[in-house]
Amino acid sequence: MSTSNLTLSQFSLRRLSGKRALLLAFSTLLILFLTLPLVALVLRALPLGIEAWTSRATLDALQLSLTTATIATLIAFGIGTPVAYVLARENFRAKPIVDTLIDVPMVLPPSVAGLALLMAFGRRGLLGPPLAALGLELPFTIAAVILAETFVAAPFYVRSAKAGFGAVDRKLEQMSELLGVSPFRTWLRVTLPLSAPALFGGLLMTWARALGEFGATIMFAGNFPGRTQTMPLAIYSGLESNLDSALVLSLLLVIVSFGILFVVRAISPKGITLG
Amino acid sequence: MPHRSIVPVMTVLVVCLFALGACAPAITTVPAASAPQPTAAAQPSVTTDLTVFAAASLTDSFKEIAQQFEADHPGVKVVNNFAGSQALSTQLKEGAKADVFASANNTEMKNVQDAGLADNTAEVFVTNRLVVIVPADNPGGINELVDLAKPNLKLVMAQKTVPVGGYTISMLEKMSADADYGADFVTAVLKNVVSEENNVKAVVAKVALGEADAGVVYVSDVTPDVSDKVKSLPVPDNFNQVARYPIVVLKNAAQPQLASDFVSFVLAADGGQKILEKWNFIPVK
Repeated sequence: MSTSNLTLSQFSLRRLSGKRALLLAFSTLLILFLTLPLVALVLRALPLGIEAWTSRATLDALQLSLTTATIATLIAFGIGTPVAYVLARENFRAKPIVDTLIDVPMVLPPSVAGLALLMAFGRRGLLGPPLAALGLELPFTIAAVILAETFVAAPFYVRSAKAGFGAVDRKLEQMSELLGVSPFRTWLRVTLPLSAPALFGGLLMTWARALGEFGATIMFAGNFPGRTQTMPLAIYSGLESNLDSALVLSLLLVIVSFGILFVVRAISPKGITLG
Repeated sequence: MPHRSIVPVMTVLVVCLFALGACAPAITTVPAASAPQPTAAAQPSVTTDLTVFAAASLTDSFKEIAQQFEADHPGVKVVNNFAGSQALSTQLKEGAKADVFASANNTEMKNVQDAGLADNTAEVFVTNRLVVIVPADNPGGINELVDLAKPNLKLVMAQKTVPVGGYTISMLEKMSADADYGADFVTAVLKNVVSEENNVKAVVAKVALGEADAGVVYVSDVTPDVSDKVKSLPVPDNFNQVARYPIVVLKNAAQPQLASDFVSFVLAADGGQKILEKWNFIPVK
């Protein structure tokens, strides 16, 4: 490795290579541990025939997941952008609390999220009766799937967008306003483009998280093929009845997750960390 | 910054994980300090685990059976794994280690036998019947079984691969064959299904929470814990299904003798049978 490093004394060279060896051993162990299950999954799923990919169960779940995750991401974008902007730019007393509250769903076990959603929006929940008066019953509907996904995934966007807005050079905005450009147009023409990579990265992370949502969905939206059975739920059910479809869907999710993380890493500017 | 600090943190985590893994088997052989050691020197001085894979519907009764069995066998710890029988048989076929398998139908028992994991000595130890449950305040207005076909209800069933889900379908088909219900009864009922759960306890939970208008479960599922939250609509004998529960000692059991003792205990009239009857199962002895 560093045999060319002749300026180092014998002692420090030995110490350095010892450190390196240790690091190498541990990172090999870690990488093996993290990738082996995924490799095993790929090995088992790849040889499967076209039927597994195009089966009704696979396609239904795929379509439902893509639709709901995309809608959940759009909701996070619409509501999360102004929230993230305010959190990045304003200082108010309750800010640490608001910040923390928004982050809570990220670390909450999904089953807790599912139960909480039931307690809030279920038929017997806090908002159950008023919603029923409007003719709305959320549990077991596609709306419940979207709600569950938004609940667990939106914080990823808000965090990333907040970091993005916070990193924009304020001088550029001030200059734009000095030139007579309205604050809103300044936001649109200066702030937004400069924070675009962070916003886009956040949206991708949100979409990926929504796509993977399981616990809150199965508790709050139930499990019905073609209506509320998203990919993770189809994988869970398929384990017992349709293993091929479960394997194929799992492989798809691994590919999507890897692809998204890769893109996010590539586009995110230095100094902005996601998640 | 985070990149630099995350490597040592992760390595520590992995080391901890491996250390934990190395310790786990050792824990089971720690002498049971609390176990009484009265007369015989042959009395086991270490804890022995007996792993029992049992259908989700057996949750309450097998917990009690385990307690009783442990009391009769000092130093033995019964480790129950409850899930839908179809999930258990999948786990066994994928290499899960267990001593005893108790299934809620013959299909999953046969799956396990066909995979060479058990011989043909499986014995039916208890039977069960279906019942329709509705939330106590009956939001769907379901007062008799024919109401299940009313439009726009929210019914919850077990997936058809779950034993109780299969029994439910058979029950509905039988009813459909009866002139009182009509040929399209089964279609109308299935149209009302909003969720297919992975085990019977999940069906009970969604009805007890009041989110579903009705669900089909076993008579034994209406336990004291939920009996004030749900109302039962009995299913007449001519439509009802008899769920037969076979039990077997698995071939690669770590404790074959203990496992066979456990099965005998479940089958004993004054042992497991009495407990199962208490939980509304129908004993075979």
